[in-house]
Amino acid sequence: MSEHSSSPPIGRVIGTDPATPLEFWVAVSEGCFLQLDDVLVLERKLPGRGEPVRIYGMVADLRARHEGARFDSDVFLIEDGVLPAQVTEAARVLATRFEPEVFVAPVPGEVVRKATGEARDQALFFDGMKRKVPVGLSRDGEIVHANIEFIDGTRGAHVNISGISGVATKTSYAVFLLHSLFTSGQLGEAAVNTKALIFNVKGEDLLFLDRANRNLDGEQQARYTALGLPAQPFTSVELWAPPRPGDPSAAPRTGSRSDGVTSFFWTLEEFCRDELLPFLFADADDERQQYTIVVHNVTAKLRREARPVGDGGVRVGGVTCRTFEQLIEVISDRVEGEEGDWAGRAIGGGTVNAFVRRLHAARKDVQHLVRGDVPNPGKHRLDFQAQLAVVDIAKLSRRAQRFVVGVVLRRTFQHKEDTGAREPLLFVVLDELNKYAPREGRSPIKEILLDIAERGRSLGVILIGAQQTASEVERRIIANSSLRVVGRLDSAEAGRPEYAFLPPAHRQRATISKPGTMILSQPELPVPLVLEFPFPAWATRPDEAAGAESAGDGDGPGVGSGSSVADLFEGLGE
Amino acid sequence: MNPRQVAGLAIEGWSPEYGTPVEGDPDEAPAAHVDAGAEVPEDEWRPLGPGPDTWVPGCVDFVDGVRRIEARIWITGADGDARLGICASYAAGVVRCDRRADIRAVDVGRGFFGLAPVPDLVTRAGNFAGCPVSEDDIQQLVNGLQERMGQLEVKVAGAGGPVGSEALIILDGPLRGGQRIPGAIGYVKSHRVQYLAAAPRAVVASLAPGQRSPVFLLQTKWTRFSWYMRLSEAAGHPWAGIVRCEAWSESGLERVRKLADATAAALPKFASEPHKDDRAPQNLYPIAGLERELRRRLGDRGMVLRALQRAVAGFRP
Repeated sequence: MSEHSSSPPIGRVIGTDPATPLEFWVAVSEGCFLQLDDVLVLERKLPGRGEPVRIYGMVADLRARHEGARFDSDVFLIEDGVLPAQVTEAARVLATRFEPEVFVAPVPGEVVRKATGEARDQALFFDGMKRKVPVGLSRDGEIVHANIEFIDGTRGAHVNISGISGVATKTSYAVFLLHSLFTSGQLGEAAVNTKALIFNVKGEDLLFLDRANRNLDGEQQARYTALGLPAQPFTSVELWAPPRPGDPSAAPRTGSRSDGVTSFFWTLEEFCRDELLPFLFADADDERQQYTIVVHNVTAKLRREARPVGDGGVRVGGVTCRTFEQLIEVISDRVEGEEGDWAGRAIGGGTVNAFVRRLHAARKDVQHLVRGDVPNPGKHRLDFQAQLAVVDIAKLSRRAQRFVVGVVLRRTFQHKEDTGAREPLLFVVLDELNKYAPREGRSPIKEILLDIAERGRSLGVILIGAQQTASEVERRIIANSSLRVVGRLDSAEAGRPEYAFLPPAHRQRATISKPGTMILSQPELPVPLVLEFPFPAWATRPDEAAGAESAGDGDGPGVGSGSSVADLFEGLGE
Repeated sequence: MNPRQVAGLAIEGWSPEYGTPVEGDPDEAPAAHVDAGAEVPEDEWRPLGPGPDTWVPGCVDFVDGVRRIEARIWITGADGDARLGICASYAAGVVRCDRRADIRAVDVGRGFFGLAPVPDLVTRAGNFAGCPVSEDDIQQLVNGLQERMGQLEVKVAGAGGPVGSEALIILDGPLRGGQRIPGAIGYVKSHRVQYLAAAPRAVVASLAPGQRSPVFLLQTKWTRFSWYMRLSEAAGHPWAGIVRCEAWSESGLERVRKLADATAAALPKFASEPHKDDRAPQNLYPIAGLERELRRRLGDRGMVLRALQRAVAGFRP
C-alpha cells in the first residue's frame, strides 16, 4: 500500500451513525486516542477499480460514552463494579479530500489511520501549494500552511480577521502573518521590496516592532523554529506619529517610545492640491447630506486657486494661509461672503451653514495635521521607505483618524495605480474596519477600502483587515478576502451568517478560543484549520523591549518557562 | 429409505413465539423430598445474618445465558409428512465483578432443532447446526435448546478464567443436574414451587435485607442444598425481594453454609431498582447488563429471520 500504511490503525468507521462522504464517525481503538484537529486517512476499495479511493478527514468532534448504560445513574453502578459496560470513544470526522475524486461514503468497518508526513500534506492540500507560507502550528505541533497565491493576488488576495477585542489577538496575528510573509522566503526575491503599512489604532502595541521581546522564552523560540521562521523582531521599521498639538516645531506626539519616531502632517499646499478636504467629512452619514455638493465645489476651488508660497503655505485670493485655521477662515468667507461664489449656484443658506459648522468643528481635530507653518515640511511627509511602516493614530480623535486613514490609503492606492504593476506588494493592516467601512452608508474611506478590496488584488495592495464583528463590516470587503481568520468570538456573533464558513463545531470552539489560537479558512480547504501562533518575538510593550533605556539591568523580570502561552498573551490587547 | 429423510423445509408464517412456553424452567420441578433441618432443626428456624467471620467474596462471577427462537420450521420428510422444528440462537457469558464489572467471555450458538436426521442450515447470519431431539413437540424442542444453552454456559464459565477460591460463581437460574459448573450457586428469582411448610415459610417472610434462611436439603432427580435470602426491602407481598439459591450437595454442609453466608453478604449490593428493571430487585444488575449484551450478540432478529428465509428458500436436500 502507500506511505500512510506505516502509521498504525487508530480506529474504524462506525456503522451505527450514517457515514456520508462529507462526515462520518470513527470509533477509536482501545489504547489509542484522538484529539480535535487530528488528520486521518482511510482507504476504500471500489469494485472494478484497481486503485483504492483515499479519503482524508479531520477530527471535528469527539464523544465518549458508556455502552450498556441506559440511565444517567448507571455510571455509579458501573464505577462500583456492579453493572457491566464499556467505554467507547468516537470521533466525528469532516472529510477534506478524496484522492482520486470519487465521492463515495466510507464503508463502516474500514480501518482509519492518522495521516502523517506526506499523507497529512495531501489531506490539507499542502502538497499542491507551490508557494506556501507558515501561518501557525496545529495542536499537535505540525506546521499549518496557507497558499501564498491566495494572499499575493495571483489567485486571490486579502485577509480578514474577526474576534473580540482583548482576547482574540487580532493585531498580533496580523503582525505575525507579516513576519511570516517577510521572513519565510516564500515571496521570493520580491520579499525585499514588499512593504507593509500598519495603522496603530490602540495603545502602543505596535510601536516596538523593531525591538526584541525579552519575555520570549525558549519554548516560544522553539515554536518559531518549528515554523521555520526566525524568532526576531522586524528589521526595517519606520514609526510615524502625529505632531504634538500646539507645538510649533511639530515634534511627534508619542508615549513611551520617543526615539526613531517621525511626526507626520500634510501641508496646506498638499491639502488644496490633492483634494483632501472631503476626508474631513468622512462620516458615514455625511454622504446623504446636502452640503456634500458644497464640499466638492470648495475642493475644486481650492485646487484651482490656491498658490504655494513655500514651506507648505498657500495663498488663496490674496490671503496667505499658514495654519489650518487661517485656511478655513478664507473658505468661510468665500462660501458665506457677499461676493463668495464657492458654494456653488442655488445653494441654500442652511446648507452652507451646515458646511461651515462642520468645517469649524473639524478645526480642533486636524489643525496640527494640516499646516504650513513648519520649515522643511518634506521630511514630515508620509513617505514610506522602510519595509514596515507604522502610523500611530491611537491618540487622534475619530475624525482625525478617519482623515489620516483615508488620505494615506488613497495616496498609496493612487501611487500603485499610477505605476500599474502588482509587484512590489503592499500590505495594509487596518483594525476596526467596522469604523472605516461599515455595512450601512457611504463615505470616501469606505469607497477606497472597497476599491482596495475589489481592485487591490491586481494592483498588489493587500488588505489585512480586522474587526470585532464581521457582521458590521461591508459585505463586499469580507467577501473579497481569500483568507478568513477568526479568533475568540462572542457567541451571538458566532451564530451570524458571516461565519457560515465555520462548521458548527468550529463556531462553538471560536467562542472558547484562547489568546493565540485562531481558526483559519482558506479557499482550497473545505474545513477551516485551528492553529496556534507563537508569542511575538518583537516587543509589544515598553517593558518587553530588550535593550530599551528602561532595561539597563540585563535580563530583568523575564517570564519564566513555566508560564503558559495564555499568560504571555495577557494584556496584549488585540 | 428413512421416511424422515428431509425432503423440504418451510418457515412457519406465524410468529416464532406462538405456542411456545415463554417462561418456565424445566428443571424447577416440584421437590419429592425436602429436609428443612439440614442446618438448623425445623422448629428452630430463624433468620440468619452474616457474622463477623463471614467470608465476603472480593470477586463474583455471574453466568447467564439467553435464547431466542428465530423461526419455526416445517420439515417435510420423504414420506410427505411435515414435522415441526425450530431454529434458535442462544448465547452465554460471564460477567466478573471485582472492582469493575467486566464481561469476560461471551459465546453465541445457533441451532436447528428437530427430529433426526436434522440437517445443518447455513445462512448469512451463521450456521444453524442440526440438533436432533427425541420428539418434535414444542416443549421437547425448547428443552433441546435449553440444554444447548446450558452447555454453552458451562463452557463460558470455564473460559472466564481461573477464579480460585476467592470468587463466588452465581449461575442465573436453578442448577441443572447434567451441566455442572464446579462451585456454582444457582440463583432462582421466582417462586413457583413451594418447598417449605408453613412455619419455615413464615421465617423466610420475616427475613431482613442481607439475611438468609437456614440451609435445607432439596431432592428431585438429584440432591442439592438450598436457602432463601432477602435482597432488599421491597414493597408488596412478604416474599417480594426474596430469592432462592442452590448449591451442590457434594460441596458438604460446611462449605455450603459458608457460601450461603457469602451470598447473603455479597448479593444485596447487586440488587436492581424497580425503575431500572421490571424484575427488580431479583434481576441483579450484572445479570441484566449481561443479558442485554448477550441479546445484542444474538444479532438483529429481522436480519436473522431474513437470512433463514433465504437459506430455506435455497435449501436443497
